[in-house]
Amino acid sequence: MATDAKAGMAAAPSLFLRNATGLVKGWSGFDAFAYSFMSVNLVTLGMFYSLAIFAYVPDGSAIASIIVTAIGMTFMAIAYAGLIAVMPRAGGDYVWQTRVLDGIPGAVIGGAFGAIAVFLVGTALALGDVTTYGGAALGVIVGAFLGIKRGGLGFVLSATGWWFILALWAPIYGFILKIEFVQPMAALLGWQDGVNFFGTADGTFVVSIATIVITSGLVALGMAGYARIQRWSLYVGLAALAVMFLLMLISNVDTFKAAYDREAQSLFGVSNAYQATIDQAAAEPGFEYAGSALDAFGFGPGTLLLVPFMLFFLLYPNWGATLYGEVRGAGDFRKVLNGMLGGLWVTAGLAVVFVVLAANTFGWTFFNASNVTYVNYAYAYTTTPPPMPIWGYPPMLAAFLIDSHIVQALIVLAFAAWWIGWTGTLFLSSTRMIFAAAFDRVLPEWAARVSENRGVPWAALALIMVPSVFLSWLYAYNSDFYGLTLDATLVIAVTFFGTSIAATILPYWKKDMYESSPVARYKILGLPLLAVAGAVSTIFLSWVLFMWITNALYGIGIGNVNSMLFLGVLYGAAAILYVVARAVRRSQGVDLDAIHAEIPAE
Amino acid sequence: MRIFFATDIHGSEICWRKFLNAGAFHKADVLVMGGDMTGKAMVPITGEGGTWRVTLQEQEHLLASEDEVAAMEKRIRDRGYYPIRLSPDEVAAWAADPSLVDARFKAEMLAMVERWMALADERLDGNSIHCVVSPANDDIFEIDPIIESARRVSLGESNLIDLDGFSLVSTGWANPTPWNTFRELPEPDLRVRIDSLVAGVPDKRRAIFNFHAPPYGSNLDNAPKIDADMRYVSGGQALIPVGSHAIRDAILEYGPVLSLHGHIHEGRGAVKLGRTLAVNPGSMYEDGVLQAAIVDLDPKRAEVKRYLLING
Repeated sequence: MATDAKAGMAAAPSLFLRNATGLVKGWSGFDAFAYSFMSVNLVTLGMFYSLAIFAYVPDGSAIASIIVTAIGMTFMAIAYAGLIAVMPRAGGDYVWQTRVLDGIPGAVIGGAFGAIAVFLVGTALALGDVTTYGGAALGVIVGAFLGIKRGGLGFVLSATGWWFILALWAPIYGFILKIEFVQPMAALLGWQDGVNFFGTADGTFVVSIATIVITSGLVALGMAGYARIQRWSLYVGLAALAVMFLLMLISNVDTFKAAYDREAQSLFGVSNAYQATIDQAAAEPGFEYAGSALDAFGFGPGTLLLVPFMLFFLLYPNWGATLYGEVRGAGDFRKVLNGMLGGLWVTAGLAVVFVVLAANTFGWTFFNASNVTYVNYAYAYTTTPPPMPIWGYPPMLAAFLIDSHIVQALIVLAFAAWWIGWTGTLFLSSTRMIFAAAFDRVLPEWAARVSENRGVPWAALALIMVPSVFLSWLYAYNSDFYGLTLDATLVIAVTFFGTSIAATILPYWKKDMYESSPVARYKILGLPLLAVAGAVSTIFLSWVLFMWITNALYGIGIGNVNSMLFLGVLYGAAAILYVVARAVRRSQGVDLDAIHAEIPAE
Repeated sequence: MRIFFATDIHGSEICWRKFLNAGAFHKADVLVMGGDMTGKAMVPITGEGGTWRVTLQEQEHLLASEDEVAAMEKRIRDRGYYPIRLSPDEVAAWAADPSLVDARFKAEMLAMVERWMALADERLDGNSIHCVVSPANDDIFEIDPIIESARRVSLGESNLIDLDGFSLVSTGWANPTPWNTFRELPEPDLRVRIDSLVAGVPDKRRAIFNFHAPPYGSNLDNAPKIDADMRYVSGGQALIPVGSHAIRDAILEYGPVLSLHGHIHEGRGAVKLGRTLAVNPGSMYEDGVLQAAIVDLDPKRAEVKRYLLING
């Protein structure tokens, strides 16, 4: 019987271990960082969206908004790392919420959530006071019912955040692939018909379907195989980013302007494209950047308005964080936390570097003009196409500094690693959620079946692929649907909001569980760190949710009937699914309440 | 007939107590413990000058009274660890001589199983619940006779047990692991062992397999990949199947009505392999949560009527 001794805080061993299955040495901090870093994806999420919308809040300070968002997300990362340490292996929003949000707290949270959700939908759809308030009252009852029953609220929040909404992410991933890879490559390789085709709704739909196929293929490959792809994607992506930053660093606005005009003429026959882009943007309503420089150290009045936009990429440092194994301690909590914070803050730092370099090399006015002319056209805010018929994808813009289409294409190809290393998590997350719900008998058992030879979860994949195809069709052919892009972030933020509440109350509501965990030693002013971090995260996310829902700037929320209808359908479907599942299972003699009923020890 | 199946509680006192109460709580006819009962860690509580010092979960605690020490011991046991009262000199000696640790580990495991069996006899007296306990690969062989000697507990390992017309066959032997534990066999030998056990089953359709290792590639056997240095690959994200081919083949060949598994704590789930429902309730013993499967069998039709995976 081999043994091992572990030193704790004291010099003498604090633990003696014997040789047994499952006892491992943990994992490298770099692995935890890498996974978080690829989830908070600077290129596919940041450059695609968050770092392309500064023109819509001209009095906001770009750099300050990135830093403020990262500070807010730091507390969420602490809350998640703490929950992982308290409930290792069990990890995940679904399990945390179902095990913590129950009883009176669950009923209060569920009731409030139900009332607010129905009220917002009723208000947005102008259903009238009687229907709206009556519906809100019904929302209180249904929400409280779901909350008081262990599993109900957790299912609704997790099914929406980890399953339903990922069907909307599929076309968004597809759109990212289109404008960050397919169109630039088509242009650089001289395939003008390709540029034109992928600029149409048909082209958007085709790339979305390709994305669904690729992502499903990665699920079929399995996480072990995909992990290798992710690792290489990280290396290739970072190398490409270094080349891009170097090119931007050694260049200036004049050299870039010349390069941009040269390539616009060469690739698309557009003359004087740099100035034309600025001129067109200036002619569009609200563009106030002409002649202005980046406010690098300021904190303009609109800075906080930028924060909800920044969450499009900085919301996910916790994505996929796990803590397997046994006899783990606070060291593992720190490792998980360091991985998350590393992914978050390194990305935030790189985003700041990118913004500074974009301002210095592309020119702040041009950079924002390039984005706003494309976004306004893509979102159908204007019918005037941008001078350059494809988006000014920053890596492609930087690559223009080298006068070679082959080298430019190689740089864009290398940047595709950021997409490849990140897209596989889309359906993997969904299938895990579907499995968990099937094992809890909320979904039929066939939902958790895997193929006999390769272990592919075809049924779970179908449950996410079918709605993905439908939403991809809407996304491609219904311009109103583009405007719901931020809803994809909002729904996930709601799930994280629920988990943040769970983290806040856990030290008090599940005291024994908390006090047996390695995070119980961490306190701030005598209060549990987990509760403090959870509370700050709850406040931060509730403010962000309030902004998204109430401020027309974001294009979603109560100012957008489609948005509220979409959200209403999502949450309503999840609630109905759970209630129906309970009824069906009861008729089969299966009591879902028994799943979480604690057996008395004495 | 209702079966309550739990496994891999690894010394967690509270999980064992919940297991014994689960029959009455969930109205089960049969309790099955799938093995890996014994703990993996000992926590020294160091005494000096009337106070005791212990580090649990990297939190140091100073204990000033016997009541505090007893409460801490209970907390440690509930996590599945063995609390050991030692002097500072003894701790130093143990750190220097692994054989002392081994001897104490063995003594603690045997004492725990004896205590647990006594508790089972006490708690299960006066009711008709049938309790089966089957050690597994992490359990030393010396616990088998202790289980066998319990009045209200049947030893599962290698025994054919009739359950209302169903035949329960059990083995805690598993396919090889990186840890080289007590009950491991190469796949061909494991298959031979299984075949010899199943040979005595009169009606294979009424067989219930209680095999610790899950079938290979069933999703009940997904575990985080580790490298040669016992470190997780890709931050624990890279899950790979580590179950047994022999057990999978046996399930598909014999077609038992039910197959009970554990071993992979992360592999909670239920799948159909041919006509067989295979379940792995998983384990979160350190949290004091008893994960289990409740399975209702129809004796007339030799079918699974319903099942539920619970966190009790």
